[in-house]
Amino acid sequence: MSDLLPYLIGGLANGALYGLLALGFVLVYRATSVVNFAIGEFLLLGAYLTYTFALFLPLPLAMLAALPVAFLFGLLVERGFVRPLLGRNVVAVIMATIGLAAALDGGVQLAWGPDLKYLSGELPQLGFQLGEVFVPSRALWNLLLALPLGLFLLWLLRRSRYGILVRAISEKEVAALALGIPTARILAGVWGVSALLATLAGALLAVASGVGPNLVFLGLKVFPVAILGGLDSVGGALLAGFILGILEALSQRHLEPVLPGFTEALPFVVVLLVLLVRPYGLLGERQIERV
Amino acid sequence: MKRREFLRKLGVGALAALGMPYIAMAQARPVKLAALLPLTGPFAFAGNAGREGFVDGVDYVNEVQGGISGRRLELIVEDTGYDVAKGTAAFNRVVSRERPDELLFVYGDSTGLSKALAPEIARMGLPYSATSFSSELADPKTYPTIFVFGPTYNDMMEALLRQIRLQKGRARIALVYSNTEFGRDPIPYAKERAKALGMEVVHEEVTPPAFTDATPVVLNLRRANPDFVILQGYALSVEPLILRTAREQGLQAQFMGTYYSAELALIQRAGPAAEGFTVTYHNAYWYDTLVPAVDEMRKFRQRKGRDTSYRPTYYMGSLAVVLAIAEAMRRAAGAGKLTRAGLVEYLEKLGDYNGLGLQRSYQFVNHRLPYTKLYRASVKDGRFNAITDWLKLA
Repeated sequence: MSDLLPYLIGGLANGALYGLLALGFVLVYRATSVVNFAIGEFLLLGAYLTYTFALFLPLPLAMLAALPVAFLFGLLVERGFVRPLLGRNVVAVIMATIGLAAALDGGVQLAWGPDLKYLSGELPQLGFQLGEVFVPSRALWNLLLALPLGLFLLWLLRRSRYGILVRAISEKEVAALALGIPTARILAGVWGVSALLATLAGALLAVASGVGPNLVFLGLKVFPVAILGGLDSVGGALLAGFILGILEALSQRHLEPVLPGFTEALPFVVVLLVLLVRPYGLLGERQIERV
Repeated sequence: MKRREFLRKLGVGALAALGMPYIAMAQARPVKLAALLPLTGPFAFAGNAGREGFVDGVDYVNEVQGGISGRRLELIVEDTGYDVAKGTAAFNRVVSRERPDELLFVYGDSTGLSKALAPEIARMGLPYSATSFSSELADPKTYPTIFVFGPTYNDMMEALLRQIRLQKGRARIALVYSNTEFGRDPIPYAKERAKALGMEVVHEEVTPPAFTDATPVVLNLRRANPDFVILQGYALSVEPLILRTAREQGLQAQFMGTYYSAELALIQRAGPAAEGFTVTYHNAYWYDTLVPAVDEMRKFRQRKGRDTSYRPTYYMGSLAVVLAIAEAMRRAAGAGKLTRAGLVEYLEKLGDYNGLGLQRSYQFVNHRLPYTKLYRASVKDGRFNAITDWLKLA
C-alpha cells in the first residue's frame, strides 16, 4: 500500500484540478446548454492573469486578485458572444466558442508574448513526510482549494436561492422568464463563475509548472471528465474528476510498463466504456424524448 | 576644369563609387530563403526566438557581408503553429508563389513536418533543413537536399551515453520521452547503444509532450532506481517540473537532456533542482562572448538599436543556419552555380567554415554535423557551463 499511496495522492490532486475545471464547464452547459470549447483558454487566461498579478503581489494575493477579473471576463464573454446567439441554432453558439478559443489563444500571445513565464513566488509549503511517503505541497493545495470550493458550489446549487434560480432556468428558460426571474443576469453570473473556476485551476497549474500556451491542452481533459460525470451534473463532474485522476495514477503505476503511452488515452477509453452502459454519464440526468 | 566643375564631378564620382554596389544589389534579383516557424502555438517561444535569429542573420549578411555576391538575401517567414497541416500549407504557399531560381532554401519547424515534406522536397531538389535533428532526415541517399545543422538525436544520445560511461562503468539508465516523433526518434538507438556499452536500461517512461504533474513519472523512476535519467522530446515543457518533483521525492539519479533542453529558462524554472542537469548543445551561448559570432552579433544588434540582452539557444541555432547558408550561396555564386543544386553542392563542401565560431565546422557527414559539446547546469551561475570540448560523434 505504501507503494501505491503516493500514486493515489497524485491522482487525487490531479482529479481535484480536473473536477474544478469540469465544474465550470458543466455549470455553463447545465444553465445554457452551451458546450464551451474555450474552457481551456479560460484556464490559460487565468494562469496569465495570476502571473501578471504575481509580478507585484505575493502569490496567494495574486491568485485572489485574478479571480474577480476572471469573473468579469466571464460576464463579458456571456454578454459579447453568448447572449446575442441565444435562441439561435446550437451550432452557431458552438462555433462562437471555438472562435473565441482561437481569438483568446492569439490574444494571450499578443498581450504576454510567446516566452514561457514562471511565477516569481510560491504558495506556502505544506508538504510533509507521512511514513515513507512524501505528500507534496502541490497536491495538498489542489485538494484544499478545489474540494471545499466544489462542495460549496454543490451546496449553493442545491440549497441557495441563486442555485434554485439557476436550476429553474436550466429546466425551462421561458417559464423562468415568465415568472420574472432575471435570467440574463443569472446566466451571466454562471459564465462568470465558470471563468473563475477555470482561473483557479489555471493558477494552480501555473504554480506547479509555469505559464505557457501548453496549459491550454489541459482543457481537453475537461470533456472526458464532464461526459463521464454527466454533462448536466455538477456533482458528477467533481466525482468524475477524482475517478479519472485516480485511474490515470493507477495506469501510470501498473499499465505504463506494459502499454507505454496508454495513460494518455485512458480517460477516453473509460468514457467510452461507461457510456456503453450509462449513456448519460455516472450522475447525469436521464432524458426521455418523446417523438 | 574649373574648381566648381571639378568638385561636382568628384561628388558624382564618389556617390557612384559608394552607392553603385547598393543600387546594383537592390536591382539584382534577390536570393530568398523561407523559414516556416511555430510563431504561435505551444512552441511559439522557440519559433519567435528562431525568427529573430533569422532576421538578424539575414540583415547581417546583407549589411555587413554585402549580400550574396551583390544579390540581396531575402527572408520569407511563415507561421506553422507547430501543426503539420498548417506547416504543409505554408510550404505549398511559399513554393508555388516564389520563383525556383530565387527561392533556394527552406527551413521547416519539426520532425513531423519535415518527414511529411521530405518526398516533395526531394522531388523539387530544394535545399532544406529544419529545427528537427531527426536521424531519419540525415540520409542523403533518400533525401539528397535535406541537411541537419547539428548532430542528430541519435548522435546526442551517443554523446550522453559516452559521458555516462565515463562517470560510471555499468550504469543503470532510465529513458523518459514524449510520445511524439521528436521524443521517440533516438530511443531505439539509445537502447541498443546502452546495451553495447554495458549499461542497463532499467526503465522507459512514455509521456504526453506536456503534462502538469510529474509525480507518477518520478515515482516510477524511483522504483526503477536508475543512476541516470535521459529526457527526450520536451523542449522545456516538462523538464523543470520533472526535476523539481524528483528533488521533492528524493530521487538521487542524475538527469540529462538533449539540445532542446539546453535553455537557461530550464534553470530559472527548476531552481536548485536544475543543478547538475547535463545537456548536449552544439552552438554558442549568448554569454560565450569569446566566440566571434556572439561578439559580432552583440555589436550588430547594438548598432541596429535592438535589445542586446540574453538571446536564447533557438536564436543561436537560426543564426548558425543563416551564416552557413549565406556562405555556401556565396561560394556557389562565385562558381557561377547559384541554383538549388549548386547550393546543395557547396553546402557539402563547407567543411572549412565554422560560422564565426557558432559550430565546430560545417563538415557534413551524411548531411548532418556530428559534433557537440556537453554542458552542465550551474544554479549559482544561472547558466550552463561546458564540461567537454567538441565531441566527434561519427
